[in-house]
Amino acid sequence: MQSTSPGTSAISARGLHKSFGTTEAVIDLDLDVATGAVYGLLGPDGAGKSTLIRMIATVLTPDAGAAEVFGHSVTDQRGKVTPRIGYMSQRFSMYPDLSVAENLEFFATVRGVSRADRNSRAKSLLESMGLAEFANRQAQHLSGGMKQKLMLASTLMHSPDLLLLDEPTTGVDPVSRREFWRILAGLHREGRTVLVATPYMDEAERCTHIAFLDRGRIRQSGTPEQIKAQVPGRLLEVASAEPRRTLAAVVALPGVDSAHLFGDLVRVLWTGAADPIEALTAGLGGTDASLTVRTANIDMETVFAYLAENAPADAAAVSS
Amino acid sequence: MKASLTRIGAVTNKEFKHLLRDVRTLAAVVLLPVIQLLLFAYAISFDVDNVPTMVIDYDKTPASSEYVRAYDASSFFKVVAHGDTLNQVDTAFDANTARVAVVIPAGFGETIAAGDKAQVAVLIDGSEPNSAKISQAYSVALNQLYDQSMTKSWAASQGLDLSGIGALEPRVRTWYNPERNSTIFLIPGLMAVIIAIVTVQQTAVTLVRERALGTEEQLLVSPMRRTELMVGKLLPWTLIAFIDVVMVILLGMAVFGVPLRGTPLVLALGSALFVFASLGMGLLISAVAPSAETANIMALMIAFLPSFLLSGLAFPLDQIPVVLQWFSGIFPARYMVTISRGVFLKGSGFAELWPELLTLAGYALVMVLVAARLYGRKARA
Amino acid sequence: MSGKRIRLLIWKEFTQLKRDPMLVRLLLLMPVIQLVMFGYVVAADIRHLSTAVVDLDHSVASRALTDQFASSGYFTINARPTSEDDLRPLLDRGQIQVAVVIPAGTQDHLDRGETAQIGIIVDGSDSQVSAVGSGYASQIISRYNRQVMTDAGVSVAAPGVDAQIRVMFNPTLDPINTMIPGLIAAIMMISLMAIMSQAVVKERESGTLEQMFVTPIRASEYLIGKLTPYAGLATLQMLIVAAVGILWFRVPFNGQLGVVLVGLALFMLTCIGLGLLVSLVSHTRQQAQQAMMFIMLPTMVLSGFIFPIASMPPLIQPLTNLIPLTFALEVLRGAFVKGSGFAALAPQLLILAGFAAVIFTASIIATRRRIAE
Repeated sequence: MQSTSPGTSAISARGLHKSFGTTEAVIDLDLDVATGAVYGLLGPDGAGKSTLIRMIATVLTPDAGAAEVFGHSVTDQRGKVTPRIGYMSQRFSMYPDLSVAENLEFFATVRGVSRADRNSRAKSLLESMGLAEFANRQAQHLSGGMKQKLMLASTLMHSPDLLLLDEPTTGVDPVSRREFWRILAGLHREGRTVLVATPYMDEAERCTHIAFLDRGRIRQSGTPEQIKAQVPGRLLEVASAEPRRTLAAVVALPGVDSAHLFGDLVRVLWTGAADPIEALTAGLGGTDASLTVRTANIDMETVFAYLAENAPADAAAVSS
Repeated sequence: MKASLTRIGAVTNKEFKHLLRDVRTLAAVVLLPVIQLLLFAYAISFDVDNVPTMVIDYDKTPASSEYVRAYDASSFFKVVAHGDTLNQVDTAFDANTARVAVVIPAGFGETIAAGDKAQVAVLIDGSEPNSAKISQAYSVALNQLYDQSMTKSWAASQGLDLSGIGALEPRVRTWYNPERNSTIFLIPGLMAVIIAIVTVQQTAVTLVRERALGTEEQLLVSPMRRTELMVGKLLPWTLIAFIDVVMVILLGMAVFGVPLRGTPLVLALGSALFVFASLGMGLLISAVAPSAETANIMALMIAFLPSFLLSGLAFPLDQIPVVLQWFSGIFPARYMVTISRGVFLKGSGFAELWPELLTLAGYALVMVLVAARLYGRKARA
Repeated sequence: MSGKRIRLLIWKEFTQLKRDPMLVRLLLLMPVIQLVMFGYVVAADIRHLSTAVVDLDHSVASRALTDQFASSGYFTINARPTSEDDLRPLLDRGQIQVAVVIPAGTQDHLDRGETAQIGIIVDGSDSQVSAVGSGYASQIISRYNRQVMTDAGVSVAAPGVDAQIRVMFNPTLDPINTMIPGLIAAIMMISLMAIMSQAVVKERESGTLEQMFVTPIRASEYLIGKLTPYAGLATLQMLIVAAVGILWFRVPFNGQLGVVLVGLALFMLTCIGLGLLVSLVSHTRQQAQQAMMFIMLPTMVLSGFIFPIASMPPLIQPLTNLIPLTFALEVLRGAFVKGSGFAALAPQLLILAGFAAVIFTASIIATRRRIAE
């Protein structure tokens, strides 16, 4: 890893624009990622997260705008950018008929990692990710979670300063997901910078900074706390016998900003003045003996839903 | 430079692994050309003999019988039927049971006895021009000879002195292929064609597969240069195709008696360059094809007919319009056929074949570079 | 069988085809271009052979003989080396295909009534050139001899044989007439089989094949739906290619148009069916491609398109009957060149129909097996 000091910019992008035919995937986008950050890109499918990451990874050429990674242009100084980044694509990008070890060996060799380093790093990476016993298994015969770990290991073989991860945990079981983020936390501690796109709201909590993408633009960005602060009111959870009916009833109550189903709970955003627990219990009242109302911490899901519903189509960023 | 070689080595290594784990493709690429060559070399030839001939003798005299014997005696014609009417000729030609019909009119013997020239009709089925042409030539020759020998014996019986009349006699020498064995002529060309077809197919999909697999992006963020990727991908196939060439040469010599009169080194060099050039062509298709399916289709259509028809394998190239001659220069098979025939049959060496070698080398170079350029442009769209 | 489902499948195939302009171009445009190009190649006749004359006699006779060669139309005299040794490099490099060597003393021999030998050297590395070239050369020398005899007044009085040699059906022996029809069939075959072989595999790889088979769609419906658009395009291709071939090269047509169309249509069905069958039994595109090649190479070589079946060893000849193209060629060449009608070509047409039937039955079985998997 090259020496990077916190406070410098890992990624600096201005006015990025990319269209595919008539579809505008990324529109006039600015982005700043500080060195050492774990920066999460959130947003629905088609928001432009992949396109953005691929442009920064130099894999895609922007139609307009510029981006720099550690001070080097991604379009004109690709040769200086790529040695310092590791890119993990959304789809499986290893050779299916090569083994775990062979895949690592190949990509690391191509990256110019010396033989000694290849051996030692492969060994330690496989061990720390729990892949050691599968070293000789062909990549096509790995489970979803193991495939993702393999890809991550491959991106780490050349010890990059910046990791660009495009939905690394999509389709992976929850246990593997947690493991994955444990590994990312370790990388953060080592001082590496991570830009990760994810549709999972709960993963946003683990980032140092996040940005919401929607239809090609950044709607909101900042630290998780800053973003959460945007949402007025408090969050409550209502458990009931018939969640759907409860949802319908709750939405009609005054003081309720919005509500949505969360499993078999109903989460309610309360912006009213009165005490929400009393008001809700009273409002929903009566016949349901199992009705309970309690406060909850505002989570990203709620924040996002609120912002998506309430934000006009502008990209006023709360910068960090 | 060292880094470059390391990367090329890594790609070559990887491609070998892919190949060795795909037994079916391996078999197809290594065994198939050899098997097919053996089959075809055994089967095909342009040699024409024992042409089925029908004789319709309306005369039935000793003179006509003697005339018919001339055909019997010839190794070229094979009298298979004696007909009674002309209609039978039509039927025979339609059914392909006879290709030549000799019709001797009534009065043949009388006319000759009277000292005149008797007319005979020889009908040739022209629907297969190759054998028809040769049949025609042989008929003319046979009849001329018969006529001349009749003249001579008549002159002798008359006591005429023919000493004042000389004659020319053609002495035909066939160089490079004295037995006129067309198999020997065909095998060197066939070898080139089969390898051209097989190799173009294999590389046509190789780049498209990288894109389809998703590994292409990983390669894009690495220091790997496009040309390095191309070269790395071509090397294993070059080696395999080269093995094919060697096997074919050995089998051709051992089984079919194809002689190797020229400089083997030229053949080896030419083969290596040819394989590289054909693979390069496949690579180019791969780089411009939008999908694996189209790559396959394009490869099939581009490799197949042109290899057979524009390489000089079966059809001579010097009689066709000049524009087409230039166009045929696009296909590497053409040069390989020339080199192949030259080294096997004509005893050619560097002195004669350097233009072809140079062309193949240039071709390979251009193909790889163009493929590299086009590939990169599409990848980052 | 549900007509509605079939129509739906046909609509789907057409929509997909429309979105793939490259495919349509490959199917319609390329064959025409190939036909025009290759037509010239297969139609080329062996004439104007590059010839060298080594005249060591410098006599009236030698000059007369040389003139006969030059004016024959078969030989183009491109070199007049002064010695036989000079011939070697010319033949080695392929600049000369035939050489005539008139030795010194030829005229003397003729005057004395003796036989003089004329050397004819042909390039044996090209078997057609050597066979035809030596044949032509012998003819010219024969004619010269006859002239000599006639001049001496001998032949007029002598009895002899005057053979009228007539080539039927193709009097000019112009290869165009038989090769162009064959080329039409070969081009159709390659393009159709290439495209069909990928048609189903594509679906299998993308997973939509599985989807289809959990619906009520039946094997026969699937096949008909798959085939129809391609058959339509193939018919279009056939008409275009045949028309271009005939008109551009002015191939004389002696026969019945109906026979040609029926023959081509049946052949087209076998090609599409065979490509489809390959597509159905292959698991990957790669496999389909390899299978295609495995079928097409022998077809090209053994069908009689380029290499005459009559020249093949007796063991091989029955094998040629396994190849649909063999019969298609017989139909086409018969119709074009010999003017054969339905009656004469009925066996071949029936066999082609038989091929089509067998292939489609196999396709249905293969499709059912896929559904069952």
